[in-house]
Amino acid sequence: MTRDGSPWRPFVRPAAHQGAYRCLQLIAGLVALLAAPAALAGALVVNVHMADGRALPGVVVTVQPLEGSAKPNPPIEAVMDQIDLAFSPDLLVIPVGSTVTFPNSDTTSHQVYSFSPAHPFQLPLYRGKPRAPERFDRAGLVTLGCNIHDNMLAYIVVTDAAYFGRTSASGAWSQSGVARGKYRVTIWYPRVRDAAANLQRDVTIGDVERAEVSIKLEKTLRPAPLEKRPHSWDAY
Amino acid sequence: MHIRRPSTAIFWLLGALACGRVWATDWEVSLDTRLVSADGEKSYLDGGMGILRYGSDRSGVQLGRARVAISQDLGQILVLKLDASAWGEHDKNPVDLTEAYFELRPYPRSGWRVRLKGGAFYAPISLENRTEGWESPYTLSSSALDSWVAEELRTIGLEAKVDWMGTRLGHDFDVGLAAAVFGWNEPAGVELATSGFNITDWQSSLFGRVGPYGAAPFGAVREYQQIDSHAGYYVGANLKYLDRLTVQALHYDNRADPTAENEITGVYAWKTKFDTAGLRFEDDSGWTAIVQWLGGETSVWPDDVGLLKWDFSTRYALLSKRLGRNTLSARYDNFDVTPSAPGSSGDQSGHAWTLAYRFELDKHWRLTLEWVNARSTQSNRAIFFGEAPFATQNQLQLAIRYAIGSR
Repeated sequence: MTRDGSPWRPFVRPAAHQGAYRCLQLIAGLVALLAAPAALAGALVVNVHMADGRALPGVVVTVQPLEGSAKPNPPIEAVMDQIDLAFSPDLLVIPVGSTVTFPNSDTTSHQVYSFSPAHPFQLPLYRGKPRAPERFDRAGLVTLGCNIHDNMLAYIVVTDAAYFGRTSASGAWSQSGVARGKYRVTIWYPRVRDAAANLQRDVTIGDVERAEVSIKLEKTLRPAPLEKRPHSWDAY
Repeated sequence: MHIRRPSTAIFWLLGALACGRVWATDWEVSLDTRLVSADGEKSYLDGGMGILRYGSDRSGVQLGRARVAISQDLGQILVLKLDASAWGEHDKNPVDLTEAYFELRPYPRSGWRVRLKGGAFYAPISLENRTEGWESPYTLSSSALDSWVAEELRTIGLEAKVDWMGTRLGHDFDVGLAAAVFGWNEPAGVELATSGFNITDWQSSLFGRVGPYGAAPFGAVREYQQIDSHAGYYVGANLKYLDRLTVQALHYDNRADPTAENEITGVYAWKTKFDTAGLRFEDDSGWTAIVQWLGGETSVWPDDVGLLKWDFSTRYALLSKRLGRNTLSARYDNFDVTPSAPGSSGDQSGHAWTLAYRFELDKHWRLTLEWVNARSTQSNRAIFFGEAPFATQNQLQLAIRYAIGSR
């Protein structure tokens, strides 16, 4: 069902050939049934490619209406674990008002903190039993670290966007049932170096429409965090 | 309450811990045993002029290192770290501390972070000895540069570090500054002037000495003592590009008065200052490259002899490739000590190759096979031992290490 609950499109009845008409009516009814969601609102597809043309998976996509206000997404309860001196997952996207629990699956203590303006916080030293969930009430990027283990780094994107998600292995994110209107599509990924202007596109979604936004990065990505080095190496 | 003795302070500290909230303790115990085959002269640790840990007299089974380390939280942002080892050498104390310090680590704010250390600890010099116990993940034996740091340098004082955490703010770089004031490190330099640089994994202990007691010609030196009333200092900086590249530099000056003498032991204060700079690069295919240089001067001024002075410098390049649980590393060291005042003896010129293969079976067991070839020319070999100044040494070691801990 579509977000705005648009009615069925009117079907105009022709004057003659009742038998053929019934047949056509049946076919048209089936088509209308299958095409119904698209007919009520549009679909949006966002493709993200690196400067060398390869698809970029894992990119955070947020879609904000440029006119009016969107109904906020319901908050969720998310989990970010700490395993082998690393956050897992190292990137979460959550609606405003969501909570995140930070269990510690390591045998050593961690001390999670963030000094990001969107949600500065710190969890006292703990191991084993997690601290109470942390509630994220403001939209923005929250960069996380551990005050003991420097290499631990993770991100939480807190969003009030109407639609959001992350690109698939093929670098694509799609959303059906997007209500008609004008939107701003914004992408974010920790390794992207491009200027903000290249990470936004405005798009208009009309009826029965499949709008496609393609963003090709201009700059090469930052190198990915090293994986082959044991996390325990940096004791000094 | 008036606390007059350190033991009283420790008693009260332990009492407070026992009565108050119980904070987490992390610990690690490791045992590193060696099978050694060496063809060279007697080691500097055994009273000889050999620059490796083992000479031919020590071929066979040896204790590499037995280590106990404790990290005790004393609240949210204060931790006490103790690192004790037994080396199976001619150490004054069978088990002794290599580091013992408190660290204060307030939470970072707005991208800035401060760290304070108080006690006895390593200055931020080494680029290779980055794992627990100041050990290298690449080789058994340290570079000549770090072997000297392990032998003669320990910060006994206060260190402050300020870091700008750019990578947490969306930038590619982190920048750090460190500064320390310290004492009790005034014999630093005496080993360079007498036996020169070494290639070893032995670390001097806070209450121990370097070399066997009473051995001719140099005797044993207790490294960590204050002889004059001057405090030393160092300042350092590092720049990191993501987790790929670390560039660092440090200036050290113990500001000792070279005319000051410990009346009881006869040990002089050695005025030692040096600069060091280096970089470490790592890539995502398991390669690590390190280059580092250290150069400085040390002097001593006994009343009846006059000024004695030496310039010293060392540099090394290390290349390492990690493949799963296997690490293969090669290092080239070059080092020299040059008398720079009339009457100063004890020059050294040498270089060494180190090849190491390491296999990590699991988180407990580790095997390392290492070969070191060192060639050095030292006039003290001829002056004090009547041997040729030039010597070549080979040392092959198989190390089996078992570690267990709370982490």
